[in-house]
Amino acid sequence: MIVADQLVKVFPGVRALDGASLRLEAGSVHALLGENGAGKSTLIKILTGVQRPDQGRLLIGGEAVTLRSPTEAAQAGIGAVHQERNLIPAFSVAENIALQRLPIRRGLVDRAHMRAEARRILGLLDVDLDPDVRVDRLSVAQRQLVEIAKALYGESRVLLLDEPTASVSPAEAELLFTVVRKLADSGAGVLFVSHKLEEVFAICDTVTVLRDGRTVLDAEPIADHARDDLIDLMVGRSREALSFPPRPPATQPAVLELDRISTAAGHREVSLSVRPGEIVGLYGLVGSGRSELAKALLGLEPIESGSVRVRGKNVVIKDVRQALAKHRIGYVTENRKEEGLFLDQPVSRNIAVTVWGRIAGALGHVSPAREGELVSMWVDRLGIKLASSRQLAGQLSGGNQQKVSLAKWLAAETEILIIDEPTVGIDVRTKGAFHELIWGLAADGMAILLITSDLAEMITLADRVLVMRDFRIRGELDNDHHYDRTSQAVIRLIHSKEI
Amino acid sequence: MSTRKPLFGLLGLIVVLVVVFGTLSPAFFDERLVLFPLLRDIAIYTVVGLAQMVVLSIGHMNLAVGRMAAFSAMFMGLSYDRLHLPLYAGLCIGLLAGAAIGAFTGWIIARTGVNSFVVTLAMDFALLGLIPVVYTALTANAAFTVKPDGMRELRQYSLGDVCLGNVCGSPAVPQMMLLAVAPMLALGYLYHGTRPGRELLLTGSNPLAAELSGIPTRRRVVTAHLLSGLLAGLAGFMLAVATGSFRATIGEEFLLPSFLGAILGGTAMAGGVVSVIGTFLGTSLTLVIRRGLELVGIGLEYLNVYLGVILLLALSADRFLQRRGVKS
Amino acid sequence: MLIAICVAGYLSLVVASGGAFASGNAVQTFFQFLPVPVLIGLAQMIALSVGQLNLAVGALGGFLACAMGVLMADLGVPAPAAIVIGLALGAAVGALTGALVVFTRINGFIVTLATMTILIGAQYRLVGTRTVSDYSPGLKEFGQASVLNIPLVFLLALGVAALVAMFFRAAAPGRRMLASGSNPLAATLSGVSNDRSVILAHTLSGLVVAITAVVTVAVSPGVNRSIGGDWLLPSFAAPIIGGAVLTGGTAVVLGTVLAAFIVRLVDSARAEFSLQPSWVNFVVGAVVLGTVVLTRARETRRSGGSS
Repeated sequence: MIVADQLVKVFPGVRALDGASLRLEAGSVHALLGENGAGKSTLIKILTGVQRPDQGRLLIGGEAVTLRSPTEAAQAGIGAVHQERNLIPAFSVAENIALQRLPIRRGLVDRAHMRAEARRILGLLDVDLDPDVRVDRLSVAQRQLVEIAKALYGESRVLLLDEPTASVSPAEAELLFTVVRKLADSGAGVLFVSHKLEEVFAICDTVTVLRDGRTVLDAEPIADHARDDLIDLMVGRSREALSFPPRPPATQPAVLELDRISTAAGHREVSLSVRPGEIVGLYGLVGSGRSELAKALLGLEPIESGSVRVRGKNVVIKDVRQALAKHRIGYVTENRKEEGLFLDQPVSRNIAVTVWGRIAGALGHVSPAREGELVSMWVDRLGIKLASSRQLAGQLSGGNQQKVSLAKWLAAETEILIIDEPTVGIDVRTKGAFHELIWGLAADGMAILLITSDLAEMITLADRVLVMRDFRIRGELDNDHHYDRTSQAVIRLIHSKEI
Repeated sequence: MSTRKPLFGLLGLIVVLVVVFGTLSPAFFDERLVLFPLLRDIAIYTVVGLAQMVVLSIGHMNLAVGRMAAFSAMFMGLSYDRLHLPLYAGLCIGLLAGAAIGAFTGWIIARTGVNSFVVTLAMDFALLGLIPVVYTALTANAAFTVKPDGMRELRQYSLGDVCLGNVCGSPAVPQMMLLAVAPMLALGYLYHGTRPGRELLLTGSNPLAAELSGIPTRRRVVTAHLLSGLLAGLAGFMLAVATGSFRATIGEEFLLPSFLGAILGGTAMAGGVVSVIGTFLGTSLTLVIRRGLELVGIGLEYLNVYLGVILLLALSADRFLQRRGVKS
Repeated sequence: MLIAICVAGYLSLVVASGGAFASGNAVQTFFQFLPVPVLIGLAQMIALSVGQLNLAVGALGGFLACAMGVLMADLGVPAPAAIVIGLALGAAVGALTGALVVFTRINGFIVTLATMTILIGAQYRLVGTRTVSDYSPGLKEFGQASVLNIPLVFLLALGVAALVAMFFRAAAPGRRMLASGSNPLAATLSGVSNDRSVILAHTLSGLVVAITAVVTVAVSPGVNRSIGGDWLLPSFAAPIIGGAVLTGGTAVVLGTVLAAFIVRLVDSARAEFSLQPSWVNFVVGAVVLGTVVLTRARETRRSGGSS
């Protein structure tokens, strides 16, 4: 009933989709699988009218369509439940469901009709929810159900569910699956995007796998495939990890140690250690608690129990300033636009922000010469392409922006560096240069904790890989930089049943 | 430089207007009667604009800018009236009071995380209530009328009274201008040459990234509001000197010009971009228009209309150019 | 809670004044000066509901009051026609403001700062330094009229408040405005136009300001250039005390009305005990700050407890 045919979508520096196809049949639950960055979310955005493809066609009921907005997608019968929570907290369940097309009688919102409609749709789903209750009083899973009901309100025949169980308890997930199954049985087509293979096997009929923006498995019955086959398809065998000249094994004692850390963000009993000259990889899916761990370490989230040792001494880190000035710890943030850079400020300031404390003289005077020298040194060393150091950070390409946010911490002479998703949204060539750079930093004796969702990157760079899931460390592997072996071991840890 | 600050446009506009007004009404160039008071007003309102600019630099606002000036001026009046302090000692006490009320406001914002708009609004109400109470309790007709030595001179003296040998300054430039030039230089240096100044800008540009880059953002919030209170106090002093008494109503007219001067000068509402010279030029533009229209006889009634239209046009043009810049 | 404060406050005032405050005359005076704070608070609240600020509340009100006064006194326009023109003008200025905000993408704060400047100029242009008082006696009678000691203008303000409340509770555009203010992204994905919400909010805000201007013309002995000059800050105080959120998504009509009531109560108490008028401002400042800080603390505690 809905077909995406050879879609291509190019963003600056990345081919997000490169010939992706999808066939969704009525009356079935269809799984869309792929690792982070395989192009799933782009595909969903195209199907829901948020973005438009550069090439390829979209067919609904055999006819080519162009979806220009979410409203048009809804009119075409496609309802979506996005990862972002898209409800109005202060509105009732019924009103959220009906917001797209509020029923009106005598100029006013017809609440009785709205309530009846909401009750009808919730009834279809067999969900027992009071339509009058405010959405901000509901649990996450209940809100998820409201979003599904909302997606169905527009007479949707196609329902897209993007990671619907990401923050839902197992029991609540069960309820959700029952609803999904029911919908499919009543003739709707459901596209189910999930990282959790158990779920996919439990409720899906057919499966499509994306890798690097291409469809590598096209709408086949899921029963024909074993778990491991799907993992192989998602990860791919073709890619080889880059190799760099070996580094001497790190033998010095660890400079950063976490000992059974529990945090207010939800981490339980997290332990890890990093030695000088070592790259420790922290792998996990989006939302598994990796960035939150880094932030807790820097004092941005309260640590409830456990201890942090830096260079063998127990420490309590209050904020980033202290982490930097006292312990020489830097954190290259994942989200460079929101957390890493000052886009409307010159590159020089973006890099020098961490060194002012060191080079400022009396009354906080910053010598322009001294600052300029430091900035141009790091611009040269990292090969940042600039017209001038007064250029605004926002005007640089993604790769150069990322280099700027790394340069900031290198200029600060850190010895322990936490690097969070360094190459998201960066083209392949720059990626390679980045990997070389990180490798070189470790060779020079930097202790690096590398957070990434890019398996190839992890296997290229890390000496050891820790796998995090649901805010706990699920296992640790020594990385022999052999792609097949390590990647499968990691994926198995990620998708393993509860330990 | 890629942060387009409309400095040349402003300067050009001011020059054109001065020429036009001067041609229409030659009295415009009268040093004693027109230029001297015009420049004195420009000096005062530039400081007012700077008081708003420092909070805009971190992406905040100060709605109590005028009342902080009154608060500060109240302490100055008190120290002249009760303690019989000399002019500049009283000024220092008043500035301290301004800085203190500003820092207190900043502290509340940093501590509670409540929007600066609301906190300074509440502060404005509180001071609006407090100040007249003090004045009625301590003075006969709601003003400290004691004039310390030097106040009259400060009001009337120009650079014409400063001579090096036979060369004297222009009698059109009031000495009070120095009170505006000093903070302009200081702020220019703060923002361009020092760590705290740059940290203010980065806090305004992206508070989250600032925090994650090790900038003590809360302390910077307090710093910005402290400076705002201090500058408001200075402006209050200047206005009191110019009008001859320390009254409860000082600063009543500050709010609107404080935004006009700073925003016209290219300071961004969202924070991260300031222009000291721009604030000076923006203030000058509004006051040149005001005085010019008065002289040409168009009348005060149209004045605000023109100011508002100019503000809208200037900003729309700026936005339009920016958008075109992004596309090309 | 606000209701309890209002009732308790009023009763204690009655007791403290030895019953004088329950007399018909006192009640009438009390309510005579309530409509304007209520209405300007509502006008601001409407702008806040979509996350906009309207700095031109006082300037627009003053301008419209003077415009209507001039129309009636100088040009001999009959009162009903002048009122209709005033209301239309208010809505038009609001719509224009909203359109400017949407199409130039300039911060609404700045746009309304500019329109405020323009309107202050226009008001001055209209009346200069004179006071226009020679207009419709009928309108002035309406301003002084009362039913059971409750002034008609106060009932009018209550009526407007009821309409605004109904608009936000039950009318589709009102619900869409709240959706835009609460979560613009979600609103877009539900087919709600945020731009339309902003324009509509400014238009309605302008319309309510125009009604305030009508009331002012009716209750004042005359209109001059000082009208509206002291409206801006109270217009923010009422909704903020009433629980409005600056970032949008809330419409606290009852809260705004009660907050205006409390401010009026403070003023009456002040007069009763012959304190200086400025104490009222001090109390309002303290209450504004206290309300937001308390709300903030409660929010933090709630979110801290649930995670």
